This record gives sequence, C-alpha cells and structure tokens, in this order.
Amino acid sequence: MSFVTVNQLTRLFDLSEPWIVRTITGQKKRILTAVDCVNFQIEKGETYALVGESGSGKSTIAKMVAGLLMPTSGSVIIDNKNFNDANLEKASMNALRRKTQMVFQSPYASLNPRWKIGNIINEPIKAFGLIKDENDQHKRVIELLEQVGLSERDIKKYPHEFSGGQRQRISIARALASEPEIIICDEPTSALDVSVQAQVLNLLKDLQKNFSLTYLFISHDLAVISTMANNIGVLKEGVLVEQATPNDLFHKPQHDYTKMLLAAAPTLQNN
Amino acid sequence: MERFFRSDFFYHFRHAPVAIVSFVTIILIILAAIFANFIAPTNPFDPASLNLMNGFTPPLEANEFTGERFLLGTDDQGRDLFSTILYGLRISLFVGLMAVLLAMVMGVLLGLIAGFLGGWIDSVIMRFADIQMTFPSILVAMLIYGVARGILPPEVRYEMSIVVLIISIGLSEWVPFARTVRGSTLVEKEKEYVTAAKMIGLTRQQIMLRHILPNVLSPVLVIATITFALAIIAEATLSFLGVGVPSTKPSLGTLIRIGQDFLFSGEWWILLFPAVTLLALALSINLFGDWLRDILNPKLK
Repeated sequence: MSFVTVNQLTRLFDLSEPWIVRTITGQKKRILTAVDCVNFQIEKGETYALVGESGSGKSTIAKMVAGLLMPTSGSVIIDNKNFNDANLEKASMNALRRKTQMVFQSPYASLNPRWKIGNIINEPIKAFGLIKDENDQHKRVIELLEQVGLSERDIKKYPHEFSGGQRQRISIARALASEPEIIICDEPTSALDVSVQAQVLNLLKDLQKNFSLTYLFISHDLAVISTMANNIGVLKEGVLVEQATPNDLFHKPQHDYTKMLLAAAPTLQNN
Repeated sequence: MERFFRSDFFYHFRHAPVAIVSFVTIILIILAAIFANFIAPTNPFDPASLNLMNGFTPPLEANEFTGERFLLGTDDQGRDLFSTILYGLRISLFVGLMAVLLAMVMGVLLGLIAGFLGGWIDSVIMRFADIQMTFPSILVAMLIYGVARGILPPEVRYEMSIVVLIISIGLSEWVPFARTVRGSTLVEKEKEYVTAAKMIGLTRQQIMLRHILPNVLSPVLVIATITFALAIIAEATLSFLGVGVPSTKPSLGTLIRIGQDFLFSGEWWILLFPAVTLLALALSINLFGDWLRDILNPKLK
C-alpha cells in the first residue's frame, strides 16, 4: 500500500442563499462540486504534483489531505490512518497531525506578525510535546534555522524583518519542527520572484533527500512542477483528467486540456 | 526608550501641536487628581473640616463672616471648590477608567468570539449589539443603574454606588469594541498563520487568544481613548441627574448639579469651574484620540 492513498475523494460546497431567501425568491439550491472522485497515490519519499488553473480544486484537495476540511465522500489515508475516522483515538490523531504539515502560498500571511521567529518555530515542538526541556527546545530551533539556511541571530527577530524568500524558509523550518513525514506545499513559490523560487525549490529538494519527506506539491507553474515532481496530476474543474510522469506529460500529453495548459505556459525563446 | 524617541510615532507627535497640548492637559489633570491630597488646601470629603459659614464665598474674595479666602470660591456647604474639583476628578477619572476597562474586556472578548466562531453565536451577539446601539448609551446606563439599585439591599447601596456606576457605564459602551474586533477577526482568521496553528492541533481557544487577539488589538487602543472621554461624560451626566455618586463625595457631575441650583441667584463659580475642568478633560481626550486614530490608521494618512 502506498504511503498516501486518495480514494474517490469528493467535496461539494453549498453556495445557495439562506433557506428563507430561497423560499421567498423561489431559487433552487446551488451546489458546487469542487473535487469530483479524485484518486491518486504517493509513494514514500516521492513528490506528487497537482497542476491546474485557479478554481480547479487544487487547494481543496490540499486542505482535505491536511485534515483541515472534511471530504463529502471518499477518503485520504496517510500511513494507514485517516483524519476523518471517527474511531481514531486522540493519540493517533495527534501523531497523524504531527506527521502531516503544510507550507503555504503567501509568506506574508503564514507567519504571525506579532510573534518572534524563535517562538513561531518552537510552537509545534511545544504543541506536540516533542522536547520538554527549554534549553533543548532552543537548540532544536537553532538546528532547524540552520537547516533552512538561516542563523541563530534570527531567533529574536520578527517576520517583517525578513524578505519573502527568507520568510518562506522560516515557514519551512516551522513545518519541519514537528518532524513530519509528508509536507503539503500549497503554491510555495508563487509569491516569490524567480531567482528566489529556485533557492526555495532546491531547499525543498535537499530536505526531501535528507529526511525522506513525501511532498504533495500544488502549483499552477509547469516549470516549477517539472523540476519537483515524480508524478503529476492535471486537474480541471475538480476532475483529475490526466496522471503521468513529467517526461510523459511534457512530451506526450494525452488530454486536450493538458495540451492547452502546456501551450499556454510562457517560454523564453532564443532567436 | 531611545527607539521610541526615534520612531515615526514620536516624530508625528512632535509636529502636531494639538496632540501635544491635549496630551499635556490630560497628563496635568491626571497628576492633579493623583496628588490631590498634596495639592488641595482642604479635604472636602471630611465633613468635620467644613464650615457652613464659608458657604457661597466668591473666588478670591474674603468671606464676610470668617474672612477666609478661596482660590475658586466655595459651594453651598462651604467646601473649597478647588479642592473639591481635584478630589472630584479622582472619582471621575477612576469611574471612567474602570468603565472603559470593563467595556474593553467585554467588547474584545465578545467580538473575538463572534468573529471567530461565526454562525448563530455571531448572530446572537451582534444582533444584541445592534439592539443596544439603537438606545442612547446614557439611557442604557440609567436602566442598568436602576435595575442594580433595585436588586441591591438598601444598606449596601451607598457603598456600592461607585461600583454600580462603573458597571452601568461599562455595559453601555462595549458595542464599538465588539464591532471593531469582530471585523478584524474576520480578516485575521482567514490568514494562513491561523491555518498553520490548526495544523498543529491547537484548540479554538488557543488560536483565538494566542494568535488572533494580539493582531486585532491596535484599533482597540483608539476606541478605548475615545470611550474614556465618553465614560467620563456619562459619569458626569449620571451624577448631574442625581443617580451617580453620593453628594458627600462629589464628582465633577455632582458639582455641576449643585452649581446649577445656584446659577440664577448669582453664584456662577460653583457651576463654571467644574464645568470648565470637565470640558478641558473630555475635549483633550477626544482630540488626542482623534489624533491617535489618524496616526495609527495608514488609510487616513
């Protein structure tokens, strides 16, 4: 069995007006199918990328894999555990939370502006009770900062003292703090400029190698995805229309929508 | 401290004469109230020190019976007005401060809960706030004051009157805090740092208090300043209407009420000096609050 199995995952959103308004105006219920029977697997230590235009359901899948949103039907099974299993006892729920972490799109909104960096990174360590001794916690925070290319000096600073790329490194350090096994990267580079994008992507790759992390990588940027993914799923209006390795996808796209996406991606051409 | 003097905030402060004047006035009034027992020549709350013969002495003139002189004159009981204003300021400021603290704690917590939890809890809290807003706050304060006086046994009414006053003013001013905090909470709770906190399994209370609360507090400071002025005026109004503090311990409002009785018989000073003090205090706090709002809100710059 794969490390992550997404099975017939479906999520509906009820966009209808309140009951009383519907009764008066005679409107019907409006249901949006954000994610429609999506299946995929991720092997341990590999990267699965979801690509698609905005509104295609990428982030909804990410939230359901992260256990932040209940699926309407279907399931997400991570290491044989399921966030929405009512029988799951509290300890294994906590263990599952610890194993699953997330890196967000906006490095400006993902760090609490009133907290010092040291506290931001230490929070998961405390919340999961990983290290009890305060000195050891401090050492661990420094170790994490160094792993993402920052230094001990940064521990007392606030988020606004850092650039976007540095903030994204802090986000990654925080995600690593709970010693996760899968990290969901929700467009981790789309808010950064291109030179910094490459640095963050390389950092993510190095960390994957060192800690055998599994990534679910969400992006709309095909260039980013081609360098990161072992497998790619193309989403269109909540339906997974094509799954392939990067090589196959870029050279032999099967679905019309994939061909359109590839054609729409801007490229630099040498004349 | 050095950082504060080099900050933008201090720079703007130095270049705003209105802010400087109002701030200095507030500080002077607060200091005068705190050190009233050193500044005031008499203790107006001590009935033994009062001499009824000194009643109605005009400012700076000698009393026709006792020959004593008073800086701002005396009232009908022979209380030195200058001392009474200083001691009255203490009561006004204390009641105002405590009422603002009560309104602030209540409004911030209810706004935070309404904004973060949403759903029917939000509807109940905010509709209640809307209903309360349709009544003038002084009316709400009088209602609460009346109910509280009715509930309390007669023998503790007298001691409890200041506490009752604080609660009734506090409960009538929480709505602006709740509305503002709810609005900012709705914005903050969608930010990714809140999602990150959910990812490590924090409870809703922990997320509200540790993560969202520190990020919604800056507008609260401005509202607190303006509400402080409102609370002082509300206390004066209630005391003026005779439902506030007992007349043996007069606040500014009580003094104005006493003065109003004698205004048309020519004893103008009993009304004028407390009224001017109240005006200076409320106006300074309002002007300073307005300036704070402008400076802390980048959209208005």
